[in-house]
Amino acid sequence: MKDFFRQNGILLLVIAFLLSVLIGVLSFVMGGKADPLSNIVNAVTTPVRSGVAAAADWVEGVYGYVFRYGEMEAELKELRAKVGELEEQVRRNEEAGRENEQLRALLDLTARRRSFELEDVRVTARSASNWESTLTLSKGTSAGIEAGDCVITETGVLVGIVAETGVNWSTVSTIVNTDTEIGGIVTRTYSAGVLEGDFSLMNQGKLKLNYLPEGAQLVSGDEVLTSGRGDMFPSGLPVGQVEGVYTEPSGKTRYAVVTPSVKLDSLIEVFVIKDFEIAE
Amino acid sequence: MTRRDFIHKWLIYALGLMPVWVLDAYILPRYPLWGITPMLLPLSVAAVAVLEGAGSGTGFGMAVGLFWELAYPGGFGGQVFYLALAGMAMGAVSQYALSQSFLGCLICSAGVLGLLDCLRVVRLLFIKAANLSDLLQVAVPEFLWSLAWTPLVWLLFRAIYNRVGGTKLA
Repeated sequence: MKDFFRQNGILLLVIAFLLSVLIGVLSFVMGGKADPLSNIVNAVTTPVRSGVAAAADWVEGVYGYVFRYGEMEAELKELRAKVGELEEQVRRNEEAGRENEQLRALLDLTARRRSFELEDVRVTARSASNWESTLTLSKGTSAGIEAGDCVITETGVLVGIVAETGVNWSTVSTIVNTDTEIGGIVTRTYSAGVLEGDFSLMNQGKLKLNYLPEGAQLVSGDEVLTSGRGDMFPSGLPVGQVEGVYTEPSGKTRYAVVTPSVKLDSLIEVFVIKDFEIAE
Repeated sequence: MTRRDFIHKWLIYALGLMPVWVLDAYILPRYPLWGITPMLLPLSVAAVAVLEGAGSGTGFGMAVGLFWELAYPGGFGGQVFYLALAGMAMGAVSQYALSQSFLGCLICSAGVLGLLDCLRVVRLLFIKAANLSDLLQVAVPEFLWSLAWTPLVWLLFRAIYNRVGGTKLA
């Protein structure tokens, strides 16, 4: 037995090769669903992942309370002022909403409607690789989560898209990940483009708005929302703000660099849109 | 070494891998240094391969690679074969060319990390995901920051080796 490994190194290498091929084939065949082996391993390691996340969140909370109390107090003051401003804005919007309803009734138009079926989930792990930007969530197929579902924050800001699902876990490809490809629209100019992750921007936590129309006059600070083109993702989800507009090295097309509104490194709880209905 | 001793030994190594995995997967990604998270699993394979030799390095590399593929998102299978091959190569190099020392482990760790990052860069260049300078901006700091964790991983597996490694249980 003691020489088992020494004598069987080559045999193990062949087994490793076969396992590599098997995992590769399974991950290709299963698409957005986790292969059975990954499912078992991730289901077994879920308590560890959840436990570590809970402990780390608690330690960060205590650290923030002890060492960043002044900063938190200032932030609270700022947020209170912002709440006041938003309450005023809501009152104005309610008036506008009522007027809008009356006008729609006069013109016999169908009312706009947005309804989301949401599932609240905790972020239990962040990407351990520097080559991709992902989050691991605490729920999976048992809660009705499927690959391709949108993930948003409590304020409705887009976080990413569910990439892989297991029984009690799922992986989200964040909006800055290189495989992101979502229709985006700039609210001020109604310029539509495609939001795409870019490798050089990913580690700065930013993404690109590609294929901008020729005459689009974007400025820094313009808000970008999802366009909902293709009906795959809901429209009107806030993504971020335009940081700047640049021309591709080819000189033919322009793109905007977008800074996401979501702080990906401090997310604790998010919402998965399991189903949505939007009437425009 | 009896079957029981063999299982006991590799169970201890597996337990040693647990804190490395928790650090690598759940703690260090929360606190990246200049946006970079180190890779600790290849360092574990390097440490065990240097201490235990080629055959054991292959087995441990295969097990760690399998775990990496299954427990981490976005796996496509390649790590199982890569780490098994790396474990075998590092074990053989430490047996015949280097010594079973920290320096040997550091050289082997640099090799396994460097080759892993090279393969990633080549793959991303091949699919035209980014240009070389952008890829090197990730690969070089990742390589250096990961290598900086070699002493900690070496000390952990060296301590395990001193208790149950080689044929000590025989």
